[in-house]
Amino acid sequence: MIDPAVGAMLTGAFALLFVSAALDKLRSLQGFAEVFRAYRLLPDGVARLSWLVPALELTVGVGLLARRSRAGAGAAGAALLVAYAAAIAINLQRGHRDLACGCGGPHARRPIAAWMAWRNLLLAGLLATMLLPWIARPMAAADAVTIGAGTAVAALLYMSLDRLLAQVTPRTAPLRGSR
Amino acid sequence: MTALAVSNVVLWILVLLLSVVVLALVRQLGVLHERIAPAGALMLNRGPPVGEPAPVLEVADLEGHAHRVGAARADGRSTLLLFVSPTCPVCKSLLPAVKSSGKDERAWMDVILASDGDTLEQRQFVRSQGLDGIPYVVSAALGLAYQVGRLPFAALLDEHGILRARGLVNSREHLESLFEAKRLGVASLQEYFSGAL
Repeated sequence: MIDPAVGAMLTGAFALLFVSAALDKLRSLQGFAEVFRAYRLLPDGVARLSWLVPALELTVGVGLLARRSRAGAGAAGAALLVAYAAAIAINLQRGHRDLACGCGGPHARRPIAAWMAWRNLLLAGLLATMLLPWIARPMAAADAVTIGAGTAVAALLYMSLDRLLAQVTPRTAPLRGSR
Repeated sequence: MTALAVSNVVLWILVLLLSVVVLALVRQLGVLHERIAPAGALMLNRGPPVGEPAPVLEVADLEGHAHRVGAARADGRSTLLLFVSPTCPVCKSLLPAVKSSGKDERAWMDVILASDGDTLEQRQFVRSQGLDGIPYVVSAALGLAYQVGRLPFAALLDEHGILRARGLVNSREHLESLFEAKRLGVASLQEYFSGAL
């Protein structure tokens, strides 16, 4: 059982995450198809269906917002995140460190990294809480502030962490040795 | 209770502001790292040496015009030779930068694109990427002469047919490093840094 304010905050944050990820991919479907093929996990025939990924993400993002589809969308989203983590882990295992991750828009050519797999697993764990029922209690105006501001802060912190880990840390690493 | 509610709202506002500041700081850090990082075209230790006359080759582009690549030019213009391929994704992402660089540097430089393989496929590539204004040469000999192993590869020849810079170019920055190399008269970033120290 989780508090409805916490639940709504999580729901909002994950809906934002999935919808923005889907829109990033939809902006350049062709670019994403290339990235999808580069992962080399599915035969080329299946890779033609790569547009299903953003479609699925969009469905999850929207599905989270409705009460009846929340649990289903949460489970699907968690499965999707675990699948991404597995895809990244398998390619890292193969030694493909210069593979574009396919996240963060068509022009962000950032390579896959181990922290992305861990991040996805963590997110999947958080998303699994969508399967829990919410406590029934009357909602007050303060809850609206908690949900709205909490979602915004979560999104901003996610963006900061993402940038920090993807753009700043890899570049700082070589500087550390040369003191 | 009102005091608590007020404090809560104030705290949320402050947390939001703080998050915005953190994001702005992280972005600045990213920009800073981009600025301080040296970027240059990767020079591979094979192929014709920089600073010496480039191999002279007679080639024809897809339009049928003949080019004497590597020969001294009477009009005093330099030549940027860029090796690309329809099957190379990085080449496609680099082409807009090539087009705009070609425009910016047209006062002193011509661009020639070079590739190798099926002519029909090359024509399709030229059409789909909008490369109509740029001479496009299909010649295996050219690639062999410069010992091009990886794409996109660029070579900058000056007006006397001297190879001024060459290397693997993945971005606009790499491409411009070749122009900079010619301007400064250094063969590579490595040479620049060893001279500066």
